Amino acid sequence: MSALNNKSPYVIDDQKISFTFDGKKYFGFKGDTIASALLRNNIRLIGRSFKYHRPRGIYTCGIEEPNALVQIPSEYNDPNIRATVKQIYEGMVVESQNRWPSLKNDIGSINNLFSPLFSAGFYYKTFMGPKGFWKKVYEPLIRKTAGLGKPPKKFKSKSIHFYHNVDIVIVGAGLSGLLAAKKLVDTEHDVLLIEQDNFLGGILKNTKKIKTINGQKVNEWLKKTETLIKNSKNINVLKNTTVTTYNFSNHLVALEDKSVGNLQEKNKPELVLHKIRTKHAILANGHIERFISFRNNDLPGVMLAASFEKYIHRYGVIPDNSPVIFTNNSSTFSLVKSLIDLGCKPQAYVDAREKKQIEKKTLDLLDTHNIPAYIKSEIEGCDGKNKVEEVSVRAKKNNITKIKTSMLCVSGGLNPDIHLFTQSRGLIKWDSTQLVFKPNSSFQNTITLGSVSGNFSYKKTSEEVNKKLNFLEETKNLEVKLDINDFEKFNIKELWETKHAKKSLWSKSFADLQNDVTTRDLKQAVLEGFDRIEHLKRFTTNSMGTDQGKISSVNSLGIVSKILKKNISEVGTTIYRPPYTPVSFSAIAGRSTYKFYDPERKTPIHPWHVNNNAVFEDVGQWKRPWYFKKHDGETMYEAVQRESKQVRRTAGILDGTTLGKIEIKGKDALTFMNLVYTNDFSKTKPMSGKYALMLGEDGMVKDDGIVCKINDQHFIATTTTGGAMNVLSHMEEYAQTEWPNLNVYMNSVTEQFATFNISGPKSRIILSRVFSDIDFSNEKFPFMTFNKFNYLETEIRILRASFTGEIGYEVYVPPKYALALWEKIFYYSKDFDLVPYGTETMHLLRAEKGYIIVGQDTDGTVTPIDLNLNWMIGKNKKDFIGKRSLIRSDIVKENRKQLVGILPLNKSENIEEGQHIIESETLSTPIRKPVKMLGHITSSYYSPTLDHCVAMALIKEGRKLIGGKAFVSTPNLKTIPVQIVKPAFVDPKNEKLLS
Amino acid sequence: MTKLFSTEGMDVVQKDLQQVILRGKGDEQFAQVINKEISLLPPSDNLRVVNNDEFIFAKQSFDQWCLISLKEQSHKDILKLVSIINANEEMLASDYSYGQVYFEITGNNKNYYLNKLTHFDFRPKKFPVLTMAQTLVARIDCSIYHLQDKYVISCNSSFEDYFKDRFLDTISL
Repeated sequence: MSALNNKSPYVIDDQKISFTFDGKKYFGFKGDTIASALLRNNIRLIGRSFKYHRPRGIYTCGIEEPNALVQIPSEYNDPNIRATVKQIYEGMVVESQNRWPSLKNDIGSINNLFSPLFSAGFYYKTFMGPKGFWKKVYEPLIRKTAGLGKPPKKFKSKSIHFYHNVDIVIVGAGLSGLLAAKKLVDTEHDVLLIEQDNFLGGILKNTKKIKTINGQKVNEWLKKTETLIKNSKNINVLKNTTVTTYNFSNHLVALEDKSVGNLQEKNKPELVLHKIRTKHAILANGHIERFISFRNNDLPGVMLAASFEKYIHRYGVIPDNSPVIFTNNSSTFSLVKSLIDLGCKPQAYVDAREKKQIEKKTLDLLDTHNIPAYIKSEIEGCDGKNKVEEVSVRAKKNNITKIKTSMLCVSGGLNPDIHLFTQSRGLIKWDSTQLVFKPNSSFQNTITLGSVSGNFSYKKTSEEVNKKLNFLEETKNLEVKLDINDFEKFNIKELWETKHAKKSLWSKSFADLQNDVTTRDLKQAVLEGFDRIEHLKRFTTNSMGTDQGKISSVNSLGIVSKILKKNISEVGTTIYRPPYTPVSFSAIAGRSTYKFYDPERKTPIHPWHVNNNAVFEDVGQWKRPWYFKKHDGETMYEAVQRESKQVRRTAGILDGTTLGKIEIKGKDALTFMNLVYTNDFSKTKPMSGKYALMLGEDGMVKDDGIVCKINDQHFIATTTTGGAMNVLSHMEEYAQTEWPNLNVYMNSVTEQFATFNISGPKSRIILSRVFSDIDFSNEKFPFMTFNKFNYLETEIRILRASFTGEIGYEVYVPPKYALALWEKIFYYSKDFDLVPYGTETMHLLRAEKGYIIVGQDTDGTVTPIDLNLNWMIGKNKKDFIGKRSLIRSDIVKENRKQLVGILPLNKSENIEEGQHIIESETLSTPIRKPVKMLGHITSSYYSPTLDHCVAMALIKEGRKLIGGKAFVSTPNLKTIPVQIVKPAFVDPKNEKLLS
Repeated sequence: MTKLFSTEGMDVVQKDLQQVILRGKGDEQFAQVINKEISLLPPSDNLRVVNNDEFIFAKQSFDQWCLISLKEQSHKDILKLVSIINANEEMLASDYSYGQVYFEITGNNKNYYLNKLTHFDFRPKKFPVLTMAQTLVARIDCSIYHLQDKYVISCNSSFEDYFKDRFLDTISL
């Protein structure tokens, strides 16, 4: 039978389009989907099934499609594209998937022969052993032979996000959605109308069920309504957009396809992910037809009846001139009528209902046109090679009649499309008359209209719209008169599955087409004890495909309810989870990919660093120079050795802008600082600084930095780069919640100053040259003092402090003046060969001196006492955060891990950070008994100054062990003998620092 | 001032403005200290903005205000203002002059383009003239000031490159 061309107002039949499917060229029209175009070319076989590689065709005409999934190599090659949704364009390349070597002759179809073995839970039961086989044998093999399409090799697509804030979202622009929108035209409500198709009208354009609306032809009414909506001041319309997610707080996510019917443009977004906040959501997203399970109900040529009708009216394609129609409900009347109106005649009409249940006008139609009608009958199954060739009708008991046909249209009833409603946490209930789950009570501000609420009568739609939306301000009653060409009242007989005439291990009636789940699998799962629907779903993978069982999940519930001998309402449903339809990762990522993956922070000196071959390290979001390459061939190790040697020889400069800076001021600032830090600032002189420690309430070190006291009411605290935000939040929290009586305020001034750390024996001379009017002598500018100075049109601050152990200064300058000053410092230090150094050299220099880094030498379980920093605790202070914890028995016990220095006895050996320190010299190979571990290395570097490795470690009773010997274990189970020493390797007496 | 982007219905200009962040009780004394210096009383409602030809003055939280100078002043004058305010022991003024970058956005379609970059609700009924907001724009923490016919958006200067690149990339798509 041929697929005839019908005239459709929605495809442009003077725009012929060529495309290829599996290498062969076909023609379609502008507006055709891949499926409608293939049907136009009489192509029925589209793909192979997931598990058994059975031949599959086009089952539906929309987003619910389980079978016709294809790959489009001419695009970004996303797999599992629904042929029933994707529109064709000139030159489109389409390929079938999950077959080899060809669609017609697929070697994988051998699985069908072995299918009696592959029952529910086959994988769980079969691939248990031998040990190691799963990873190396089973999984690669199964992945190769099973599955859907192939993932794209490169991530190329360009998608954006778009945010909306509205009062009302209407999902679906069918009859009820349009009536709702019409009611809201030119009101004060901001409305967003979302339609998944590229036109408004929905079912009005897919069928001829409505003749006229308010006396106007449907298309005329649609045109006027669309114009009215378009010209309204308050309604925006999104077409080609599918709402995929309905979250808490009336937050909806929708996916817009920007390239419908066109090749994706490289520099334009092909997808837009809309994120919508609304006050009310109106769901008018209709219903989805469901199927009936019977033998071979997956053969190409079996199609849902409403989809068949949609191909006729929407695309102008009649998939078959004389199909057999099989139904258990009223909805197929319009299909019979449509076929007859087009001069076609169904081969047979099979209805499971009693004659008295069937609408008179359906019976009259069948009678008038001599269509063979099989009443109170059912399809037992269908047969054919790669397509339907014959169907078997069971009229009475087991009396089977065979009918030759190439197409079978099936309708098992209508499912209100409740996915979004249940995602919103609305409750549903079972309607035993219409045999549907429909919305019962909303959890959020959700209103359902039309068939999604179980209202299958068009005549009642306007009444429903008025009733449910009249509470909205400024809305008026709509007067809508419809002339209907459809059933009067929806009528259905319960039928989920038909019996097989012959018992055979190879006979299959499918419950889930996409995941190849059969009705027998469901029965077996129940027999094996998986009688809860959520368990059964996971055991069988029923409705877990990309279609989420849109046409099949209720059937499965029906079948399971029969097996369990329960009402379907007692069986319940599984939870519909977002997304409603597949969403590509590119849409989720939006523009946050590649260079926009994570926000970056740069210092004012960044361009200079780039020009001077800095290699950057990410510290939080900051880009910090890690080290500077002198030449392309220089390794990181060489650069760091060179930089650190130079700092100790002459001087070096570090861009320390990223360090956190907090300004604290108020009448009670001193009291506050004494509470927040362990140190006592009461006797600290104005314009001097202190190395300070901040603890958590558990007494563990939280952050450190230098606190500068301007006066008792005004402080500036520096923090670690990564800790800046946390320290400020910590201070704010305590100021606002624990000590609201204190008059104190704080601001982050991290961004207001660029900071340069200049250290080394020549740093004083260099700064004296740059700031010739400042006296940097030890007497005038001693260690840990600071001052403000006028500089050009601004003010700078200089603090004498060092993190290297050498004499050093920190210069704070407003960012606008920073780069020029940085270059000026280099200008005045040419003869000293001032070296810029990065964070790695900073780490090495401070480790040589024995200075800790919070987060490297501490891990949230370390107290100041463990770090030998008792001297930083204000003993006479009444209180500070963490004080009480420091006297807990566990904190004061002697055998805690304590910070020590580690030196290899053999100076040529290197120690790695993270390596374990043990007591015994030898380790058995392999290790069979627990090895007593003393602790681990926290920092380790090769010191160019000392010409051997220096390390710091946290080890049990470390202080007692100083002077003793221990061993560092290595990954190859060798040990390195080491000496435990005090953690200060360079200038332990601080002579350089204070010089 | 640098013209960054111009498209149908939107113009983006980067401006050199200066800013001071103020903390305090917001009482009569607080208001008088400020008013004496800039002849503008601080707004008392959260997220409200007052302005004149020289300043935007916004209340950011119950005890925090920001003062943006619309006319570029010498940095020393700003520091002097900071110093005068800080002479009051119950107030903190911090100079934010060069640690922030500022973008002025005008045009009838500005909300449409900004909706590609932020979830913030720009509808006039939710974000009226002379109010401000602190929210994410282009994934960066920003302050947005709604003046009569424009928005002024500010963020930390360390994010300047990312913000501009991301902003221009997205609105051009």
